[in-house]
Amino acid sequence: MKSEKNLNLEKEIKELQLLAESLVNYGQSLGADEVEVAVATGKEFSVNVRQQSIEDLTEANFRYLSLKVIKDRRVASASSSDLSIETLKDLMKKTLKRAELSNPDECAGLPDSVEPYVDPASLNLYDPQIAHLEPKEKIKLAFETEKIALADPRITNSHGASFGTTEGAFILVNSRGFSGFYKATSCGLSVGIQAGDTDHRVEDGWFSSRRFFSELDPPEAVAKKAIERTVRLLNPRKIKTQQVPVVFEPPQTAWLLGFLFTCIAGTSIYHRASFLVDKLGEKIADPRVTVIDDGLMPGRLGTRPFDSEGVPTRKTMVIEAGVLKNYLCNSYAARKLKLASTGNAEGAGVGPNNFYLVPGEVSPDEIIASMDRGLILVKTIGHGLNPVTGDISRGAFGLWVEKGEIVYPVSEITISGNLGEILNNIELIGSNLQFEAAICGPTIKVAELTVAGE
Amino acid sequence: MISLSHPFKLSLRDLELILETALSQGGDFADIFMEYRHYQAVIMEEDIIKETSESIVQGIGIRVISGEKTGYAYTNEISFEKARSAALTAAAIASSPSPIKIASLTPREIKTNFYPLKIAPNQFELERKVDLVKEAYSACLQFDPKIIRAKVALGDVVQWLAIANSEGLYVTDIRPIIRLSCLAIAEDRIKREVGFAGAGGRIGYDYFLQTHPPRQIGEEAAQEALKLLEAIEPPAGEMPVVLAAGHSGVLVHEAVGHLLEADYNRKKTSIFWNKLGQKVGSPLVRIIDDPTIPGFRGSYNVDDEGTQPEPVLLIDKGVIKGFLQDRLSSKLMGFPLTGHGRRQDFTCFPLPRMANTYIDRGEYSPEEIIKSVKKGIYAERFEGGQVEDSGKFTFTISSGRLIEEGKLTAPIKQATLIGLNIDILQNITMVGSDLAFSPQIGTCSKEGQEVPVSDGCPTLKIEKMTVGGRL
Repeated sequence: MKSEKNLNLEKEIKELQLLAESLVNYGQSLGADEVEVAVATGKEFSVNVRQQSIEDLTEANFRYLSLKVIKDRRVASASSSDLSIETLKDLMKKTLKRAELSNPDECAGLPDSVEPYVDPASLNLYDPQIAHLEPKEKIKLAFETEKIALADPRITNSHGASFGTTEGAFILVNSRGFSGFYKATSCGLSVGIQAGDTDHRVEDGWFSSRRFFSELDPPEAVAKKAIERTVRLLNPRKIKTQQVPVVFEPPQTAWLLGFLFTCIAGTSIYHRASFLVDKLGEKIADPRVTVIDDGLMPGRLGTRPFDSEGVPTRKTMVIEAGVLKNYLCNSYAARKLKLASTGNAEGAGVGPNNFYLVPGEVSPDEIIASMDRGLILVKTIGHGLNPVTGDISRGAFGLWVEKGEIVYPVSEITISGNLGEILNNIELIGSNLQFEAAICGPTIKVAELTVAGE
Repeated sequence: MISLSHPFKLSLRDLELILETALSQGGDFADIFMEYRHYQAVIMEEDIIKETSESIVQGIGIRVISGEKTGYAYTNEISFEKARSAALTAAAIASSPSPIKIASLTPREIKTNFYPLKIAPNQFELERKVDLVKEAYSACLQFDPKIIRAKVALGDVVQWLAIANSEGLYVTDIRPIIRLSCLAIAEDRIKREVGFAGAGGRIGYDYFLQTHPPRQIGEEAAQEALKLLEAIEPPAGEMPVVLAAGHSGVLVHEAVGHLLEADYNRKKTSIFWNKLGQKVGSPLVRIIDDPTIPGFRGSYNVDDEGTQPEPVLLIDKGVIKGFLQDRLSSKLMGFPLTGHGRRQDFTCFPLPRMANTYIDRGEYSPEEIIKSVKKGIYAERFEGGQVEDSGKFTFTISSGRLIEEGKLTAPIKQATLIGLNIDILQNITMVGSDLAFSPQIGTCSKEGQEVPVSDGCPTLKIEKMTVGGRL
């Protein structure tokens, strides 16, 4: 039974790789100069449990094919969830015809050469245990997590607990002779809860997400963290508008880094849509700050042997001791900027591999203790991020600190600042880096931000 | 004319057999959602038509409801065998093998077509779409020498769908949608700023030829970027806020709409769950969600469960009057269906969602409202917002102006505003007579599912709200 499941995926990958190869050949036979075909295939499972009853359960197989053709430096692309060969051939024909409508683009094209990539097996992306988990076991994880959370008398309602898995493969073939694939799995456990009565509700939650089931936090750990994060928000106060030091907890550092990623993505740079244009080699951050993009860390969620164009991933210094070292590029942005691809192609654009802020040596508790008066940022809502200026303005929830101690929670506040200034004002970097997502960072302390309240 | 014959090769008898399989393990209700979508897109930047693309998305989703539980499975192959196997997977949610009888399927006609088109977006020649894109692009870039970059994106979708359920419903629809947007980057010696504009809806391309020329969209984006070059940092702290008509509709979407979606109230997570019939806002506030406004982005002839949609009065004179319902919540709460069960695509089961949500007009002129404010901000353009079930919500303005002594003065940059929805609703002290809708380009995200929506409001005044500017 077990080996059969694995064989099925292997067999399917082989079939899809052949399909992609024949489609590339077909495109060339029609006169395309260059052709690229990518296929994603896989299975998803998710279950939501709320108030100790299954709320919904989804189970499905998915498949998706995308293709790109270049003729006379003119580009056109297409995608389809219908993988019948007639549909795909027809789509290829129409796409090639459509390319005539684009203007010639000097920088268009597949990666210049086919380079060898590391053996996907050495990167630990695929956990056979996930393929073999029985639905019953998966459902039980969500049940247990919510049960532990609801058992706390301070928890008054639940958004539910979820457990989900994906298992799949990415297959890429191009007309320069690249033909490769890798398999990957992921799993995630999460819970969202509320505390307080209806008119004074606070809410938060927690999650754990990994490629390997054995590395996932158990229900107990996820539930306890969710409870702790939620009840600490009870009975918030408003505060006066002021400028204070702000400590970012890891999920908050993560969105800040996500915003940094947008600002150093080669696609933003060539379009001059970033405040970090023309800054390569310059000091843009405090010397304590080092940010790395690394696609080769075994077992991590942002790891992959090659990017969506088949360029091998690598470890790229983005900011080294405060100096901007590299923009992250796909082959198109790289040609535009006269740089080399960093193996960051993602679909038609640029995406992160494991993009993280290198941890420091202080513990989160030491960081809080260092603050005479200020805010710990624990949750943000809203989207006020402008890459062109670096400006940040978001709704916030936090914990107020006096003399190094948390004194009460605060809400209905906003934080505002500028990413350029924040990078230069990072005073402390925590040692607590967890790789729960492709983009992650430890606790940090920023010297000063505007916190708006009353 | 859009072809009325749908592309699904399953007969009514096939669908009945699939529904029977779906309920073979018990359960109260099952439905089938089939769709075929055709997307086309054109992108222009750096003075060239950079790329065109085309996408086909097809699939079939099968849902089984048993009490409060939902079982869901989907496949992107529309064949009897695959659909039946998905039905078996979804069926596993139920475990009381007392199968209910499937009603035989009776095709139902669409009552009113809210998007009658002469030419479907996918039948309008691509060459002519390219011309529209070029028009917006040139208008933007040529508007002023300070505009250094422009990017124009045009996308259209035609979605064929068919819905069948165990109660005998069978209905089909074809939904068009178009979105044209322009981004402008302005640069002077020391600053760089971005402007954005767009238009669209469930419309045909004649809209851009006759009503709303792409040139206007390009110019609007350029003007916005130029205005921001002159803009100052917004103030920070609590102050009166006047919301401009149209663009400010995001307020009603975040502050009110989401938390009146039935699922959050059935689960008692929304601050509104125990407040039906209670006064939560100023008597000036009347809020409606209407999926039946012709040509609007959030409109539909049937919702994604096959229900005929109706306008819903959500708040009248500050009192909560109703919730937005899908099938599951309406049944569990014992409320009538409203036709607000929507889904992103066949891979998702439906949730109660907004369509076109707006605050109704009041009596004041916009001038009177601005004049009434000594010191505050005028919010003109928006980037979106977010709300949590506790009622705390934000929205971010991308540009606005200061109000000083009753007059609009210096332009201000991006700021996020935050408040508790029931406080803000009570603090609405003036509502204008100039109801308008925001540009038809909005998308709402809930539990990872994105659906097109629109929102609107007249000029209105919030007596005090926290503005997240800088000191």
